[in-house]
Amino acid sequence: MNNRIKEYRARFNLTQDDLAKRVNVRRETVVFLEKNKYNPSLKLAYDIAKVFKTTIEEIFIFDN
Amino acid sequence: MKRAVLIFVIAALVLITCGLLFFSGESGIKPVELLQFGVIILVIAFALFFGYKRFSSAKSGQPVEDELSKKVLQKAAAFSFYISLYLWVAIIYISDKVKLESHSLIGAGVLGMAVIYAICWVVINFTGIKNE
Repeated sequence: MNNRIKEYRARFNLTQDDLAKRVNVRRETVVFLEKNKYNPSLKLAYDIAKVFKTTIEEIFIFDN
Repeated sequence: MKRAVLIFVIAALVLITCGLLFFSGESGIKPVELLQFGVIILVIAFALFFGYKRFSSAKSGQPVEDELSKKVLQKAAAFSFYISLYLWVAIIYISDKVKLESHSLIGAGVLGMAVIYAICWVVINFTGIKNE
């Protein structure tokens, strides 16, 4: 699974720290998400999508 | 925050106890004891690093624990338990070959488990958890 968190974060002018605080996780978790080293829970994916005012599918790209 | 402080207190207590135990002997320090002390220092260093991470997270307004850190802990615990089984088998094998006191064997096993856990945590923390 790939994601566009970094792209959206730049678009919304947010730092990793800002995003981490908004979705109530540690900054390291955002780093791991951006590097595609961690697949978030459905709740975290939903929270991230909510911060960027979009849908989960728009941020997280599923590829089999 | 409280748990981070607790980690520092426990680490300090363990260090003081070990220091008293190793350096109060009249016959001097044996090489095996020095090795044991070195391993304990390594485990304490890991605990202090862990505590510092929690402390700095709490200080910067971030949660001390989140879903990733919990998963890393769980995975490290599961892996270290699995590897520890082999460690105990190795210790049983060594105890048949070399004459050692039972408390030394148990101590080596417990310290070995702590070191295995620390290594597992570091590896999983740096490689990440993917597709789970």
